[in-house]
Amino acid sequence: MTRRSRAAYDVAVPAPSPGGGRTAAPASPASARSIGAPVSIRGVSKWFRTGSSFLHALDEIDVEIRPGEFVSLIGPSGCGKSTLLRVVGGLLPYELGTVTVDGNSPAQARDTKQIGFAPQTPSLLGWRTVRRNVTLLAEVNRRGAIHPPLGESEILELLETVGLGDFLDRLPKELSGGMQQRVSLVRCFALGAPVLLMDEPFSALDEITRNEMRYLLLDLWERTGHTVVFVTHSIPEAVILSDRVLVMATKPGRVVHSETIGLPRPRSAQMEDDERYLAHMRSVRRALGEVSAR
Amino acid sequence: MTADTAPPDAAGTARQPPPQRPQHLRRSAMTVAPIAGLVVVFGIWEFYVRVFNISPLTLPTPWSILVHLRHEPGFYWRHAQVTLLEAAWGYGLALGASLIVATFMAHSRFVERASMPVIVLLQSTPVAVLAPVFLIWFGFGHWPKVLVAAVFCYIPFTINEFTGLRSVDPGAYELLRSVSASRTEIFWKLRFPQSLPYLFSAGRLCVGLALVGAVIGEMFGGSTEGLGNTARVGQVRLLIDQLWGSIFVLALIGVIGNLLLAAVETRVLRWHSSQDLPGGSAATL
Ligand SMILES: Nc1ncnc2c1ncn2[C@@H]1O[C@H](COP(=O)(O)OP(=O)(O)O)[C@@H](O)[C@H]1O
Ligand SMILES: [Mg+2]
Repeated sequence: MTRRSRAAYDVAVPAPSPGGGRTAAPASPASARSIGAPVSIRGVSKWFRTGSSFLHALDEIDVEIRPGEFVSLIGPSGCGKSTLLRVVGGLLPYELGTVTVDGNSPAQARDTKQIGFAPQTPSLLGWRTVRRNVTLLAEVNRRGAIHPPLGESEILELLETVGLGDFLDRLPKELSGGMQQRVSLVRCFALGAPVLLMDEPFSALDEITRNEMRYLLLDLWERTGHTVVFVTHSIPEAVILSDRVLVMATKPGRVVHSETIGLPRPRSAQMEDDERYLAHMRSVRRALGEVSAR
Repeated sequence: MTADTAPPDAAGTARQPPPQRPQHLRRSAMTVAPIAGLVVVFGIWEFYVRVFNISPLTLPTPWSILVHLRHEPGFYWRHAQVTLLEAAWGYGLALGASLIVATFMAHSRFVERASMPVIVLLQSTPVAVLAPVFLIWFGFGHWPKVLVAAVFCYIPFTINEFTGLRSVDPGAYELLRSVSASRTEIFWKLRFPQSLPYLFSAGRLCVGLALVGAVIGEMFGGSTEGLGNTARVGQVRLLIDQLWGSIFVLALIGVIGNLLLAAVETRVLRWHSSQDLPGGSAATL
């Protein structure tokens, strides 16, 4: 990188400060829309060029995801979770293998707006109100869309569900960190895309808020039936949310363990005492432990 | 925190916030503060000149300058208009040009790399020396002054706007890319709005710079109008009142310009955390 001489007039633009979380309103009845699509990842390998050498980021990843399945990726940091998510989302090229989203290449899926993305930070646009942040993705690349975005009433219903009904016309800087993350989730769902990719969306939240967000996410997901690929660092989060937990190992990034979660749906906080839940937790922890020990 | 063991009715009073000075009192104090600052400075000035018996040729008292201004409002208004117009045109030209250039720079590494040496060159040169050159090129009209003002403003506008356009939130950028938003869409929905705080901060700096540019252009001679000219003539002919009168009017124009811009900024950047400072952006003038 060249050094840019801009110091003289450089301006520090402070970021809006995050705050604590809030409790959400109870869920309203479901408007059943089952739109999940299958995702197929076959023999995918990916290298990053770092200077003169190559970094083997993904090694022969094979994952078949059913329509409407909730899959979590868990693993030590740097094992390629975000990379895999970006590959599926068509945001990064890959060298070997094939990825299809509902039969299309990731690039096609991106162009036809079949993928909803939730980044690690809420990334709300500060000048837009909550309502207009949620509709942002519907506004761009209109012609490409093959699935209609949610209508205004459906969006309002989602915002009500996550407890933001009274904050529709507020600006992001007026919201706590947890509320901002809820806007981000609703924005992801509002696109109406069959596949949602979420990259550690709750990692910046405190433990209590984070716990609430799990059930909010489940609530949103259970009424729509999207296919979700969810990256997380938290074993309890992965187990309570998912149909399947994939444990990844690092150097090179690969899937070393697949845990199918046998807990019934809808999931609730009571299941956290369930013997099966605890067994899955142990099993995932053991797989992760083996990964980290190596 | 200690446990609250007071009975419910007593708790009501116990929980009241600590007594504060009424809001309106604090507010009016905040409004008076800048005026108080000015009064102190001018007071010391007036006092110094009178007590030490300074010759009015060296330094007139602020009061005598104000009296002088009151006697010649038409004269100063006429010349102020000229300078104001030159500065405004220079400001606008620089803003327009920098918006275009910064947009190209932000979208192309090649243009960025090609522009940087030119910008560094302009930044390192005391651009005031260009005034005689513009005079040779464009004669004695308004254009040389407009151009000097524009050159003064161009660099801060371009550098800030470029920085603003480039400092997009990576998450928001990736989000828009994940639905294949076009470059144009990303520009209007993300880059440009996000650059506005940077643009405004350059805009405030440039109010003063545009005036400096216009005045320098006028001072380099050939000009019969404008506050730069009246100040220069005042100095040459020892019309000390006129010299100081020009300075005061220029200062006033600068202050009004900054206040107007701050008012616009408060509206446009309502969403930005810089506006959360007590009293809004005007307080940071
Ligand atoms: N754009 C990039 N260029 C070079 N290396 C990268 C890039 N993105 C990620 N990596 C490397 O790839 C590996 C996997 O990164 P990532 O997918 O972000 O891990 P995770 O999300 O699991 O923490 C890391 O070693 C990281 O340094
Ligand atoms: Mg990551």
